[in-house]
Amino acid sequence: MTDTTTSPPPAPAGDPGPSQRALPPIPGPLDTAKRAWRILRRMSTALWLLLALAIATIIATFIPQEPVIPSTVAEWRAGVTGPGEGVAAAFDALSLFDVFGAPWFMGLTALLLISLTGCLVPRIRGFWRLTRRAPAGGRNLDRLQHTVEVRTDLPPDEALATARRLLRRRRFRVRDLARPDSPTGNAQLAAEKGHWREGGSILFHLSFYVLLLGAVIGHSFGFVGQVNVVEGAAFADTRLSYLGAAQPGRWFPDDGHRGFTVALDDFTVDYFPDPEAEAIAEAEGRPTGLTPRDFVSTVTIREDGEPVATEQIRVNHPIEHDGMKLYQIRFGFAPRIEVANASGAVLYTDAVQLIEEGPFVWTGVAKVAAFDVENQIALELVLLPDAGFGADGMPMSRTPEARNPRLAAVLWYGELGLDRNIPPREFDRESGRRLAQPLILEPGETGEFDDIGLTVSFPELPFWSGFQVSHEPGRELLLAGSALMLAGLLPSLYAYRRRVWVDARADGDGTTLTLAGVALQRKQTFGEAFDSLADDLRSEVGDTAAPPRQEP
Amino acid sequence: MVDAQLAATSDTLFNVAFLAYIVAMVAYFFRLAFTKVSVAGVPVSTAAGQRVGLVATIVASAGAAAHLGSLVSLAMAVNRVPWANMYEYSSCLALGTVVVGLAVVQRRFGYGHLMGFVLALAVFSMASALLLYAEPGPVVPALTSYWITIHTSAAMAASSIFIVGFAASALYLVKDTAERRLAAASGASFSGSTVGAAYAGGTDTDARPEGHLEVDDDEPVVGAIAQRDTLSPIAFPVIPFIVVATFVFTVWRAPLATLLAGSVAALLGIATWYAVPYLPPAAKLDSLAYRIIAFAFPIWTFAVLAGAIWAQEAWGRYWGWDPKETGSFFTWVLYAGYLHARSTKGWRGRGAGWLAVVAFVALMVTYYAVNLFVVGLHSYAGV
Repeated sequence: MTDTTTSPPPAPAGDPGPSQRALPPIPGPLDTAKRAWRILRRMSTALWLLLALAIATIIATFIPQEPVIPSTVAEWRAGVTGPGEGVAAAFDALSLFDVFGAPWFMGLTALLLISLTGCLVPRIRGFWRLTRRAPAGGRNLDRLQHTVEVRTDLPPDEALATARRLLRRRRFRVRDLARPDSPTGNAQLAAEKGHWREGGSILFHLSFYVLLLGAVIGHSFGFVGQVNVVEGAAFADTRLSYLGAAQPGRWFPDDGHRGFTVALDDFTVDYFPDPEAEAIAEAEGRPTGLTPRDFVSTVTIREDGEPVATEQIRVNHPIEHDGMKLYQIRFGFAPRIEVANASGAVLYTDAVQLIEEGPFVWTGVAKVAAFDVENQIALELVLLPDAGFGADGMPMSRTPEARNPRLAAVLWYGELGLDRNIPPREFDRESGRRLAQPLILEPGETGEFDDIGLTVSFPELPFWSGFQVSHEPGRELLLAGSALMLAGLLPSLYAYRRRVWVDARADGDGTTLTLAGVALQRKQTFGEAFDSLADDLRSEVGDTAAPPRQEP
Repeated sequence: MVDAQLAATSDTLFNVAFLAYIVAMVAYFFRLAFTKVSVAGVPVSTAAGQRVGLVATIVASAGAAAHLGSLVSLAMAVNRVPWANMYEYSSCLALGTVVVGLAVVQRRFGYGHLMGFVLALAVFSMASALLLYAEPGPVVPALTSYWITIHTSAAMAASSIFIVGFAASALYLVKDTAERRLAAASGASFSGSTVGAAYAGGTDTDARPEGHLEVDDDEPVVGAIAQRDTLSPIAFPVIPFIVVATFVFTVWRAPLATLLAGSVAALLGIATWYAVPYLPPAAKLDSLAYRIIAFAFPIWTFAVLAGAIWAQEAWGRYWGWDPKETGSFFTWVLYAGYLHARSTKGWRGRGAGWLAVVAFVALMVTYYAVNLFVVGLHSYAGV
């Protein structure tokens, strides 16, 4: 960097130009990297990174996140709700609608990991050395805060053997120092315990790598898909079944599906009765919300057409088959309808999956027929499971339960765009036309649009049930990581390092033992533990120096 | 289904407990006013102070017993755990706070004269429970799992302990400020009695204050009283009023509740100002806060992990950055930051203390704001 070709010509004498001022040397890339590494290893840097992580997650709590609630994000972007279009555009530029998928969040996570690694490597090395090194001998033991002298008639080696037994019983690591090695010149025991404090802390921090590995494996090799199926129908575990609702991991192969079929034999939902609330709502002419007791899907799983299992899937009770887990996640009504023309030819027969829009109002669309671009028929369906009239005289559903179901079918015809690729619940309302008078049907009924001679039957009202099907590798690692985290956290907070020495000085035909100790944390509780250790030592070696215990 | 008789009993006992906590809080504050803390941190009470303190302890314990009765009868009335909505959860939090205060702050550490502040936080929880009152009833299938016992009770236990920890952290910051200002004013070189003293083990932080002696009530504790003069008597009621009133108003939009809660907070602030000389030394408060938070942190960690396991069972994914999950995560990160900060140069002492306060605010936001404002999978737990 000191190349002459880049430096300006020397300035004239008497004018100390900029080139003459002492500029600090520009660090090379290696120096910069070293410096960055040193900064990243600092605990205060780690703290700032943790704070940044906290701020990022706070943002993600209060700004709707696209992967969690895409509909709200769309509303914010359009300016329908939220702070307005301009702010939403700014949020978008900073990817604040998808904080956890944002590049800067990845960068932050990476920095945290580097910082963690930078902290951990020297700590692990230090801990390794510490645990392998035998406890060091002590000198000047009488200067320590906790020190006690015990006089005994036992010879030094026997007295020390007793002390060693005592310390081992209290789970100290004990090292014997014979006379030449001992710093005091006497035979000595050096003992310590509480290494789990540092060890636990290291385990706790290592658990993050295990958790990360588990999450990465799950994301890369796992699969999550969702599928809705009507009572009596079935789906197969193939990619086609989850179209539009599949999130395969990067390395989950398209042919990784198992191919078994799942038939929904039966779906039931039941509600806690609440006659009191219903009576009040009835009097006021409004719907009553009931708390569901349980949703149960009874399914039969078939392998190659042969039934292998019949099981119940409920909320909180997923089932597993061949490495795929099936969860109960949602449900709805799927009225079966049959549409026939005036000559009796069946144009359409299907169970239409309805979606709840508003309290207990279920809507959907049956795309009946597309003869050509301009000649198409669709039915717009509205189901009230417990039909009645509200205080305003408008139809409503009194409860979510199918006690008195009514299906309203509105006929649309003309150019509905059914031949185009549009979502299942939509059609072209602009160019289409509708008949003013809808058909109102109850289950088992058939109605006729008089002008056209089109008949609509509503033979039955089955449910549809929504499942999540997922393949979840890496779960064991996540559980192990969680266990490791807790197993490390507890000793890292509650283990305390203590060091104790017992020095045996030959004293006439007996021994004078010096018991001394140091606590590195929680000194007060150590005082009590030390006193009890001293008491035990006295009584076991038969203290002859201590004043006789006062007897009553 | 719902046993109306038992539900009514539960409501009555709740009100009894609420009243008892208020009475106990006032009595504890009286006790504080009759207590001087010597330079060594030993509280010395007058005879009257001791009597009031005894009354406060009895009333608070009786309140906690009635409160437990309220929760048990509620559980029997609805035949499930009594913490499935925000009313019940807030009520449990208040009981947890009182029990932790009595068992840990008063019995274990011997700081009975700090209990007024703990009770005040419990009273706030009780008041929020009343504002969020919901008729007892059954719960949705997603909540009928044994995990509601494990995950929710762990979260509740940790939160109650964090609440007590917040009282200690906040009082530490106040006392520390007073000590510093007094030292600066008197020209003494202040060595920073608080700077990580507990962690570094410089002082005997575990000393259990004992020995309530008879003292002359009129004898001033020289020097300590001057601490009060270093603090502004205006900021102390005004700041809590603004903070609490803003919070209550944004959450409930109820002017009367806002005014009431704000006034109580202002009273609490001025009580803190008055009590500054009688508080234990900052180093001891710092140590107390650390011990309490370090106790709650593993429980909170467990609660978050158990929540992830439950989410896997109920929703088919262990972590989806649902607002509640995100909230519990940032609370965890901030408390983890606090634990690290206490052993980091430049952060020890006040930096860590502020971090503890921020972490507590995060906990409150996670509980109240996320449940009430943000739509997420935990939304059914609202009201």
